Amino acid sequence: MNVVHHAADRCIRWAFGVDPAAWPWTWVVEAAFLLLAAAVLLAFVALFAGPVTWVERRVAGRIMSRIGPNRVGPQGSLQWLADGIKCFLKEDLIPDGADRPLFRLAPYLVFGGMFGAFVVLPFGAHLVAADLNVGLLYLLAVTSLVVVGLLMAGWSSRSKWALFGGVRSAAQLVSYEVPAAFALLAVALAAGTLSLQGIVGAQGGWPWDWFVFRNPFLFVAFFLYFTAAIAEGNRTPFDLPEAESELVAGYNVEYSGMRYLFFMFAEWANLWIMSAVATACFLGGWQVPGVPPDRIAAAEGWAFVGGEALSFAIFAAKASALVLLVIQLRWTLPRLRVDQLMITCWKYLVPLAFAVVLGALVLLALVPEGGLADSILRATLVIFGAAVALLYGRRIRQTYLADRDLYRRMEGKDAWYPPYRLP
Amino acid sequence: MTPAEIHDRLRARFGDDVVALHADLRDPAIELRPERLRDACRFLRDDDDLRFDFLRSVAGVDRRDAIEVVYHLLSYPRRHTVVLRTRLDRDRPSVPSVHDVWPTADWHERETFDLLGVDFAGHPRLRRLLLPEDWVGHPLRKDYERPAEYHGIPVGRDASPPVARGGGGDRPRPRPAMHEPKAEELAGFLRLNMGPHHPATHGVINFLLETDGEILRRAVPDVGYLHRGIEKLAESNAYLGTMPYTDRVDYLGAIFANHAWALAVERLLGIEVPPRGEYCRVIAAELNRIASHLIATGSLAMDLGAFTPFIHWIREREKINDIMERICGARLTYNYLRFGGVARDIDGETVDMIRRWLDHFDPIIDEFNRLIGENEIFVKRLARIAVISPEDAVAWGLVGPNLRASGVDWDLRRDQPYSVYPELEFDVVVGRGWRGQVGDAYDRFWCRMLEMRQSVRLLRQACEKLPPGDFWAKPKTVKPAANEVYACTESARGELGVFVISDGTDKPYRAKFRTGSFTAMSIIERLSPGLLLADLVALIGSLDVVAPEVDR
Repeated sequence: MNVVHHAADRCIRWAFGVDPAAWPWTWVVEAAFLLLAAAVLLAFVALFAGPVTWVERRVAGRIMSRIGPNRVGPQGSLQWLADGIKCFLKEDLIPDGADRPLFRLAPYLVFGGMFGAFVVLPFGAHLVAADLNVGLLYLLAVTSLVVVGLLMAGWSSRSKWALFGGVRSAAQLVSYEVPAAFALLAVALAAGTLSLQGIVGAQGGWPWDWFVFRNPFLFVAFFLYFTAAIAEGNRTPFDLPEAESELVAGYNVEYSGMRYLFFMFAEWANLWIMSAVATACFLGGWQVPGVPPDRIAAAEGWAFVGGEALSFAIFAAKASALVLLVIQLRWTLPRLRVDQLMITCWKYLVPLAFAVVLGALVLLALVPEGGLADSILRATLVIFGAAVALLYGRRIRQTYLADRDLYRRMEGKDAWYPPYRLP
Repeated sequence: MTPAEIHDRLRARFGDDVVALHADLRDPAIELRPERLRDACRFLRDDDDLRFDFLRSVAGVDRRDAIEVVYHLLSYPRRHTVVLRTRLDRDRPSVPSVHDVWPTADWHERETFDLLGVDFAGHPRLRRLLLPEDWVGHPLRKDYERPAEYHGIPVGRDASPPVARGGGGDRPRPRPAMHEPKAEELAGFLRLNMGPHHPATHGVINFLLETDGEILRRAVPDVGYLHRGIEKLAESNAYLGTMPYTDRVDYLGAIFANHAWALAVERLLGIEVPPRGEYCRVIAAELNRIASHLIATGSLAMDLGAFTPFIHWIREREKINDIMERICGARLTYNYLRFGGVARDIDGETVDMIRRWLDHFDPIIDEFNRLIGENEIFVKRLARIAVISPEDAVAWGLVGPNLRASGVDWDLRRDQPYSVYPELEFDVVVGRGWRGQVGDAYDRFWCRMLEMRQSVRLLRQACEKLPPGDFWAKPKTVKPAANEVYACTESARGELGVFVISDGTDKPYRAKFRTGSFTAMSIIERLSPGLLLADLVALIGSLDVVAPEVDR
């Protein structure tokens, strides 16, 4: 039972006073509610992908010790709107000799593939458009549509650089699908279901209930999935399909205006998808610490709304942290070469993924849940994970302090610009 | 060996084919008959006492009654130089090509053919290099007349911009610069234009690629998009009037071309520079070297996909620009040097500013290395890529950090000292295969990183030792007597040489610039087969090719 059906049911009861299960027109109302859900999701994608471009550019600005966009709106926070409007007004160019139908179709396929994934993403305790029982499978399948779109864009542009980008992205996405799928398979084994809501439900609110800390193999699987997802999202260090210094812009080099915007839209929407899937599968999803899910489900009225909102906030916070991590990676690392990319995938990630699945299976069979061994395992992993996070934070703080001292000597002397550093 | 001794050796071997030794010149030249030139070159290269392994430059000179071709040679193992020259019939100038003696002659000869119409017999592809293939005439000939228009585009000072006409069908289309290999040769390969506007080519250069998927079969540089004819301009400008043009030879290292030009003219005039002037020159040059290496290493990182390091280096370079602005009033094209000194003094406040900046910059190098220089992906992208052996590096005329990265211990600042470099302490950085092999792309990158530290050392010493006194001993007139001179400086991209011929007037009769990027560019075709597309980008970046320096 998800929030769409629930709302449709309540609406039928309230408006028509009939039992939805027995009423012949229930499907009409449900279809209307599903359309509404699609519109809400589209709005969410737009409202995420837009502002996150601004966030990314501001973070990049800090990393690069410059300011970033700060003119449109307070602190430049409406920059994405200006960019969007600009793209709308641009001429929609189609190169001479391009395969016009394919050229026009490609951006929609890419966007459709990305948007399709939002159907199964659980945003909160009941906030999911459709809780498919083959959720993970659907997710992997529908995002594969992106490959078709990218290849189509590269081919139909009638530009050799775009073709390079398209072929690179096809090779890359198909390859990295394998470790990603196997990492998620390990999760499905632990949860015993392919439904994303089911996977979240199998975890708990506290870190030691998360899958990432359930056993060492799932811990590895988390990083496996995250790496592969970055590669599937064409982000540095795996941004070969649009390597600007090699291929100019890769598959989208000939696109302009609105069609270009759709590619960008899909790219940043994908940022959310990968973070959301990683959160749902490994980091406990929307689970509220200390509140079992059935209490939220059983709540009525405002308590129910509050519970949903709280679960969504927790989910969004976890996913946003991952989004920021991906952004930070992008502006720190150089790019791999095409053969190194394939070697990384087929020689290291794929065998590792096999090992992870087998290891997770064995450990799940050997260590019963709730036993002493299980508790020790979880505690060790939680401490380990906390230590990693702590070190990461400390490193950033140390760099900040060191640089602050360095620049303090320079302050107050004219002709020296105020330095903008990563805090 | 002195030129006279070399002349004796040549005469003993070739007899009367050695015409004369012009000992009265600043750089004595040995004149040879063109027929035996190739044999003489081979002898000079192979004889154990001579070992001239480096062809510095090939310059053509129109003497009005004849065409002269001048070869500047240097021996790394024996550390001596010689100038060869040969006189050719002006109507049918022809001389044997020496491209099989020194591969670097390939491009030098093509350039000479392009600008003076000298036929190098035996050259495999004597085509125009800098000018378009269908250009009429050879501009460095003294009787050259500029064509009125080129493909309907008016040429010249008072030409009005072309008026757009409908359709454009009435105008002959320029022939594409792409050479046309036979169709069957290309079966199964993709032909690709990388440039003239491409993010990785560092300026307007075109690479004609033939690729098999991502693997390159060949990458042929097509240069000349930034050819501004600085050598031609120098002939019609006074000596000092050419100084601003030398800024534009290499806009990332303007001081070095300034310096080479000043050294050449000072040697023609026979004047000395006061010590303070020399120190000012060294300070400006080393600041400029750091600025240039910042761009080189930063843009290499950017070519490999890491954008942040480049911006960090731009931030540091901005401060060098501030300092340079205080020193000479300009931030990019400095025009700072004068014959006999420098244009403006470096005051105490500026020295203080430099010191403060050095204190700040030293640790920043470490930060940069933590960020990118020691990054595993970065190292993997560069190590063992496009390896240049020391023999190849010398034969193809690589200079500067590119040469030293290949393991050749040679630095003009130490080995052919000029200015006050002998009074300062610094180490010459030589490639050691830090992360892979000697002469790979990472060595070229790391050499530049270490050279920046040496420049910091030099700057600290120069700021310490800056002597009081005059900074400019201004000569009354700049009108050198007829002579010839070759002067060179160690620029950020290696030997930047100027070959000047004076004829007693206030304008140079001929000026030839020999630059590091020119030869670095010419080796790319040899290194490219088998590289990946992304490696080519790393190769161009690691060679630190600057387009205007190639084309001049």
